[in-house]
Amino acid sequence: MRQEVLRLENVCKRFGGIVVADNISLSLHAGDVLGLIGPNGAGKSTLFNLISGLFRPDTGRIYLEGQLLTGPLHRRARAGVARTWQHMRLFRTMTVLENMLVGPREYPGESMLRSMADTGSLRRAEAAARNRAMHVLERMGLAHTAGTIVVDLPFGQQKLIGVARALMNDGRCLLLDEPMAGVEGSNYETMQRIVRDEAAAGRAVCVVEHNVSFIKDLCTEAVFMSYGRILQRGSVDDLTQSRELTELYFGAADA
Amino acid sequence: MEYLASTGVLIGIYIILATSYNLIIGYGGLNTIAHPIFFALGAYTAALLGIDTGLPAVICIAAGIGVAVVASVALAVTTLRVSGDYLLIASLGFQLGLLQAVNNLDFTGGPAGLSNIPLTLGGPARGWLYLMITAALALVVIWLAQRSMAGPFGRAVRAMRDDEVACAALGRGPFAMKVVIFAFGCGAAGLAGGMYAYYYQYISPEQFNVAQSATILTMVVLGGLGTIWGPVIGAFVLVALPQAITFLQLPSSLVGPLQGLIFTSLVIVFLFLRPQGLVGTPVAGAAP
Ligand SMILES: Nc1ncnc2c1ncn2[C@@H]1O[C@H](COP(=O)(O)OP(=O)(O)OP(=O)(O)O)[C@@H](O)[C@H]1O
Ligand SMILES: [Mg+2]
Repeated sequence: MRQEVLRLENVCKRFGGIVVADNISLSLHAGDVLGLIGPNGAGKSTLFNLISGLFRPDTGRIYLEGQLLTGPLHRRARAGVARTWQHMRLFRTMTVLENMLVGPREYPGESMLRSMADTGSLRRAEAAARNRAMHVLERMGLAHTAGTIVVDLPFGQQKLIGVARALMNDGRCLLLDEPMAGVEGSNYETMQRIVRDEAAAGRAVCVVEHNVSFIKDLCTEAVFMSYGRILQRGSVDDLTQSRELTELYFGAADA
Repeated sequence: MEYLASTGVLIGIYIILATSYNLIIGYGGLNTIAHPIFFALGAYTAALLGIDTGLPAVICIAAGIGVAVVASVALAVTTLRVSGDYLLIASLGFQLGLLQAVNNLDFTGGPAGLSNIPLTLGGPARGWLYLMITAALALVVIWLAQRSMAGPFGRAVRAMRDDEVACAALGRGPFAMKVVIFAFGCGAAGLAGGMYAYYYQYISPEQFNVAQSATILTMVVLGGLGTIWGPVIGAFVLVALPQAITFLQLPSSLVGPLQGLIFTSLVIVFLFLRPQGLVGTPVAGAAP
């Protein structure tokens, strides 16, 4: 049995009257690429926010590699939760490389004093982070964009940089929120290859995506969410062939 | 020539103030307007210690820095956890409240201020000595700002300014970074206050009011938010310009309104034509 990376137990969250996570239990293993689908407003992004620590669950527990996952965003990132954002949230005044260099879990010179001291060990750590960032960019075919201010890049490339930045966190859990929205052509293939490689390297990946063919190509399994509940977990084919779910999906999407 | 030296000292003090304020507001994106109150804390602490104990100026000024740092950490810890907007309100309240206290307390001299600060480094070359010391301190502050913002710490701070949530989700805790840059910036303001008190030997509450907030903010915005040399140039321009106007020998009834007019138009012109300031590079994606 492959190692369990992420486990959610009876996670509940409500915003005022709306239940956005209704008793969610979920398990994710190393090497998994789990699709997370459902109509707009189903609570998919909210689930990522609960795992990564932007929101605290009202009840329920979340475990990462057997350890209870608690605390604010930055603690959980350091524990090994890497994530992207539906709306990218890149650091708009900074270059691609600078964006990436914010991402390593163990950050060289996070303390102001150490940063100012600019010691040899700090410089080596910076150089190592730089190499890793360039390596990730090369895998995406984006090494030439390293010095560009992120917002000057075409949209599809910005989406890739959002993922590249998350990959600077070498934790076991990778959460991708709609990585394909607005991405086409060669960037589409790059994104697929990257996700596959990361899973093959032992990460547990969860992908929220409205592009069903992307999920079909990539995921063996998917989860269907609606109104904060997981309605079904199964093979992508089973989910997409279910009349009930298709109606829910397109009924809501068209509204 | 003494006049040149005293203008130089004032420019040096404002360089320290503007550079440290820029760390907080330009790099850190922390919206506070209370910078003059930490300037005041440094000035009053140094002055009172000097008057009452006769300790050497260096020790009194160092104590002023200490008090400014402690007060800034107290303000940061109580307000920064809540939200960015809360800091703006809290800083305004902090400044007005503390100034009110200074105005009404006996030991601070009330509205009249303190005028018997001991003479330190007297003699014919006094102005030039202070100019050299202030210039050296200003260089140190610029250097520290440059060093801290160029490295990995500064990168994380800028990332936090651009998107705090995304920055935290990459593992950089925003709270600790905010407290550190706030304390550093306010400590530098305290240093400026100590130098100011010892040079002029006179301080009063009105030198630390909201108009002073506006002056320092204008220097930073004019020169370029989030740049190293912007606040330096801003300080030069905004100290030298009013002095140049007095050289024109206009009737004094004209000078005041004229200065006000020039300051206001400068800010407006810059906001429209060069929002990135004199030395800043245009932000990509922003309106031209
Ligand atoms: N911070 C918040 N405060 C209040 N309500 C929220 C908050 N965040 C999300 N919601 C609500 O939670 C529900 C689920 O939103 P969520 O963004 O998780 O949906 P989603 O499945 O990601 O949808 P989409 O496919 O459109 O991205 C929505 O009704 C939304 O309005
Ligand atoms: Mg969403």
